[in-house]
Order: sequence, then C-alpha cells, then structure tokens
Amino acid sequence: MAPMTAPPEIDPALVRAAQRGDRMAVADLLDALAPYVGRVCGPIALQDGPDAAQEALIVIFRNLGGLREPGAIYGWARAIAVREAVRVARRTARAIPAELADVPAPGDPQLAADIRDVLARLTPEHRAVLVLRDLEGLDEQAAGALLAVPAATVRSRLSRARHSFRKAWSG
Amino acid sequence: MVGVNQDWPVTELDPVRRMRVLAAAAPGVAYAEKLIPAPFSAVWETASDLEHELPRMVTDLRSFEITSVRGERMTGHARGRLGQRARFDVVLRPGWCVMQSRFLIGGMAAVPEGEGTRFAFLGGLRLPGIRLLDPVLRPAIRPLARRPISRLEHRLQAR
Repeated sequence: MAPMTAPPEIDPALVRAAQRGDRMAVADLLDALAPYVGRVCGPIALQDGPDAAQEALIVIFRNLGGLREPGAIYGWARAIAVREAVRVARRTARAIPAELADVPAPGDPQLAADIRDVLARLTPEHRAVLVLRDLEGLDEQAAGALLAVPAATVRSRLSRARHSFRKAWSG
Repeated sequence: MVGVNQDWPVTELDPVRRMRVLAAAAPGVAYAEKLIPAPFSAVWETASDLEHELPRMVTDLRSFEITSVRGERMTGHARGRLGQRARFDVVLRPGWCVMQSRFLIGGMAAVPEGEGTRFAFLGGLRLPGIRLLDPVLRPAIRPLARRPISRLEHRLQAR
C-alpha cells in the first residue's frame, strides 16, 4: 500500500503565532491539523475516533509552546495522535479483539463492504503499527520509537496484523 | 489487499468538538455547551446574526458592527455598555464562529444532535499571566458562558 497523501504544508509563521497566544492562529492551526489527526486516529480508535482526535488535539494545543521546530509539527502531532488513539481505544471494552479464527472467511460480503470490520479484529496497538507503516510510510525503527517498543516487536505486530488482513482480503 | 488504502476510516471532528479543543487550550476562558431543542438551521441563523444577536447574548455589549467581510473572515467593531471599544477579527462559517480582540476572545459552535442542536459558547480574556490563574478562574467564570446560551434559547423560543 502506498503511504497516504502528504498533508498540506503549514506555514511556520502560523505555528509561531499560535504559540504566542494568538487565538485566531490557534483556530486556523486547529483547522489545518484536525483532518490529519482524524486520519491517524480513525483507523486506530475506530468508533472512538472523535474522542481520540479531540483528546489528541487538546494535548497538542496545550503543549504547543514546547514545539521548538514548527516544520516538525506533523511528526510531533502524529506521535501524540497515535498515543492518544491507542489509549482511548484501550480504555473501552470494545477494544477486546476477536481471535484470528473469528475473522470472517474470504469472500464474506461484509468484508468487501467494510474495512472497519477487519480493523475491529485487531488490537489498537496492531492498528497503530499498520497506520504508521502503511499509511504514514514509517520504517519499523521509526514506528518502534514512536510506540516505545523495539523494532522487532513492530515487525511481529505488523506480521500478525498483515496476516489478519491477508486472511480477510485475499482468497 | 487491493483497494484497502482508500477505505481506511477517517475521523471528522465536528465544530463543537473543535471548540472544546480551543477552550481546553485557552487559559482564562469560560466555556459551556447545551443541547437546545431547536433545529440547527434556526439556532445558527440566529446565533450567526452577529450585529443583531451578539449584543442580546452578551449583555455587556451595546453594539457590534461588521466593518469588512472577506469570505469567512470579517472585522467587527464592538462597543461596550461603558463606552469601551474594541476591534475584533472574526471567522464565521456554518456552525463555527471565533473572534478575537486585543484583550478578548469569543467563540460559538453548533452541530445537529437528534432533533435539536448542541450549542457551545466560549468567552474570555487574553491577558499575560492568565495561565497561572486558570485553575481558579475557570470554574468561577463558567456561568458567564452559560448565560449567553440561555439568552439565545429564550430568543429562539420568542420567535
């Protein structure tokens, strides 16, 4: 899968204005970041996506003053969004994944119609690995650093997640 | 794994949730939201009529005049009950309004919810050092955000 389309560039001057407390700049920056944070949180937190994106953005904007390099805002926001999405998804009882054996057989019409059904059968951490590697284009080292797990763990999570996908999508 | 990429679920953050983010990140602001039993179109038509309705919602205001419009960005001049004046930058679009002067910040957001409308109001000060007072100030000034919503509700009932 190709990485997702790069998000639009954010003017460093807008970030600096928001850091200085210009609330119109904060609102503009919120407009710019919300779709990106929603794209990261959606596949990880699924039905809790709006809660995850809201909480991620609160953390992002409360800590904006600590961002030294405005050009790094997407990478910085992505790390926060992934962590918040995993945290919110794990918080709910719905996060308990089904066993692999429960994945519907290939060709099941509901799979073809709804990828959410496939994602729902993975743990939030597996979904985070998939998002970072397959949507965001990060290598295992970078994904591991962001998730605070060794690259080997990322590899094994990815392998399991991919296996689930393959089982669901090929056949 | 064909065609998976386009179908990844995406989360959209509605205007009220965005206003919660703005409120949580802005020190010294009063924030409240309420489910108003009226359709979104009626609520937003009234709330977004800034020149007529803002002084009714925020009673410290004597008048609010839009002086320039460029797409969803506007400039407004506010005059207070005590004669004070302020120039506001405004962003206004369906379900979303944010405004800022040198010392003040304001915002409104609305989304349909069931048969009604969830409406959020934010107001507060932009002052140096206000972040230090935020834990004390925020609970104390919350009613200041509830009152404009109540006034809007009464206004809608009267129509």
